[in-house]
Amino acid sequence: MALIMVVDDDLDLAEMLGIVLTSSGFDVDLVNRGDEALEVFRNNPPDLVLLDVMLPGIDGIEVCKLIRNESMVPIVMLSAKGETLDIVRGLEAGADDYMQKPFRDEAELIARIRTRLRRTNADVTGMLSIGDINIDVTAHEVMRGATKITLTRLEFDLLVALAKDPGRVFTRDALLSEVWGYRHSTDTRLVNVHVQRLRSKIEHDPEHPEIVMTIRGVGYKAGGSA
Amino acid sequence: MNGLRFAFSRSIAAKVITSTILLSLGVVWLAGSALDSRLSDGIRSVNLSSSIAEARLAFFNAQYQLALTQAEKPRNRLQSLADIIVEATSQGLTEQVREVIIVKTPTKNPSKNFYDMSSNGARSDSIPKDLRVKIQKSSDLQYEYGKLRYASGPGVDSLFVGNRLDIPNGGRYEMYVVFSLANQSSTIALIQNSLFFTGFALIILIALITWLVVRQVVRPVRLAANVAQQFTQGNFSLRLPINSKDELATLANSFNEMAASIEQQISRLENLSRVQQRFVSDVSHELRTPLTTLRMASEVIYNHRMNFEPPVARSAELLVAQLDRFERLLEDLLEVSRFDAEVAVLEPVEFDVTALIKRCVSDLGVDADEKTSGISLSSENEIVTITADIRRVERIMRNLLSNALDHCDGTQIEIQISATEAEVAVGVRDYGTGLDQASLIRVFDRFWRADPSRARVRGGTGLGLSIALEDARLHNGELDAWGRPGKGAHFVLTLPRIAGGSIQTRPIKPTPKDFHEETFYQ
Repeated sequence: MALIMVVDDDLDLAEMLGIVLTSSGFDVDLVNRGDEALEVFRNNPPDLVLLDVMLPGIDGIEVCKLIRNESMVPIVMLSAKGETLDIVRGLEAGADDYMQKPFRDEAELIARIRTRLRRTNADVTGMLSIGDINIDVTAHEVMRGATKITLTRLEFDLLVALAKDPGRVFTRDALLSEVWGYRHSTDTRLVNVHVQRLRSKIEHDPEHPEIVMTIRGVGYKAGGSA
Repeated sequence: MNGLRFAFSRSIAAKVITSTILLSLGVVWLAGSALDSRLSDGIRSVNLSSSIAEARLAFFNAQYQLALTQAEKPRNRLQSLADIIVEATSQGLTEQVREVIIVKTPTKNPSKNFYDMSSNGARSDSIPKDLRVKIQKSSDLQYEYGKLRYASGPGVDSLFVGNRLDIPNGGRYEMYVVFSLANQSSTIALIQNSLFFTGFALIILIALITWLVVRQVVRPVRLAANVAQQFTQGNFSLRLPINSKDELATLANSFNEMAASIEQQISRLENLSRVQQRFVSDVSHELRTPLTTLRMASEVIYNHRMNFEPPVARSAELLVAQLDRFERLLEDLLEVSRFDAEVAVLEPVEFDVTALIKRCVSDLGVDADEKTSGISLSSENEIVTITADIRRVERIMRNLLSNALDHCDGTQIEIQISATEAEVAVGVRDYGTGLDQASLIRVFDRFWRADPSRARVRGGTGLGLSIALEDARLHNGELDAWGRPGKGAHFVLTLPRIAGGSIQTRPIKPTPKDFHEETFYQ
């Protein structure tokens, strides 16, 4: 049974989220303050974090950075402010996904959480290589030569999605549905921000990417094997 | 010419200086010509009297000398006559050139002796005819102005003074002393030149002085105009400097007071509207968290509705539906408040409009089957790429489509896509109830409904078209509406191909091709 840590200062909403998540078969840890979140996280490491942006103590974006420093656990931000800046800041702080309050419907929230918890590309096994990067999908490891590169689960899924089909050009929409599990969304910022983050970890020079290439006006594709 | 007129109409200084120059030109010309004619007349009359006096002396002398030759032979008399001429031409202290002509008065009985004579080859036929007549009639001295001609060379303006001369045994002759006016003319010319140059210098000085004076007045006015212009452009903190106590200082003072009052008013209004926009935005944000709880709670209840009594189950359904509507309204209000606060930003990406519209149509698929005979899409090209904010374009299309579905009354809906180099246009046409002229004007107004008595079938927020228009304008695009009662409506979205560009033409005209004004009104 997956454990989900819900960090939200609105007690009623947190309780409601608890009810919905519990009835969908998750274990739930409720936290109401930003400055308590990290301690609870350390004591009882969850499988996924639902994190509100506006929190007493320290704000959600700061909490996200702190958790990301210690763990590659999936983080989904909850935001009441639908402003672009907040969303991008959250994603840059290390969040994998975000949901805007009020949620379209609870089914969508559950679906997103399940996608984040489930291994995407479950059909892919064994070794993949892209550029000078070797991916051990089964062991969930990314190596450049003898150096291990640490990726979040989402970054790993994104890389595997691109690497398993080296010639194919993925549109942002295709990546959204394959990696994030969105049925359809036009919010391509999510893809852009994560591609940037992935590049900063795996590219020699993120300004001139050789592994995750941009195809102008279409999307992305994996660079040729070295 | 146009440039001059432009400068003239633009500048007080140009106006004042021009009229000053024109007026002083008149005054200087009048004064100058009066002075000129007085001086010339004076010089001429002084010259005339002295010439006449000299001539009189010469005549007297000649007559006297001739009288002494009473007994001489004609040859000697001729010599005396030559002496007389030499004496008369060298007489006087002035540098005035003079010539002497002696000519015989025509008579019936010619003399055997011939005494016609002149100095320096002056020609006797250049003597004015009427002067000769006057002299022949009168015994007194006569004068006349005329042109003296020599044997060769041009004529010279001269004063002819003549008298009778009786030559012993020679009959009656006429003697003329001719004074050249060259000196006098050059004196007059000198005076005229001096007058002209003085006048010219005077006018230039007057213009210069006027310019200096006008500048004193105009400079502060220009400064005020400059400040006022910058004020119009939104620089409300500018004030005019005051460093005197004259009328211009009063003007500056009043201007500054006005500016201060405007600045105060504007900042008050700005503050008010900022507070108001902030309030709307805050309210919308604050509403989101409880709305999230409400939605989740309502869905939990809704999911268990089969366990409830029918009225309770129906209530759960209504609750969910109304929360949906409430949420849409909240989203729209928030969007409107962003437009009002001018914080809406474009996030352009390159995408295919045809694919986007197909997706919008398929999302509405259920409704389409329910109410219309179908939605058709026609496009000149398979793929129409555009660089625009995809979220906004999608919202515009959803709004136009659901609006068409609301009002089509089960008829066909036609979507047409057309593109040029610089623009992409999408037309959404329905054949439903249509719109009259009065409705067309208001169709983009917030919360406006074409027919208030119509049921709100689809539960739109009433903000959709107004947001769509704002979205289009944010792209520098345009959203046009056309409609006629009973003939349906046509909404045309025109966007620049690249976000931030501009639209020059309308690839799709708002008036549909199948509609003709003339036949409609017959």
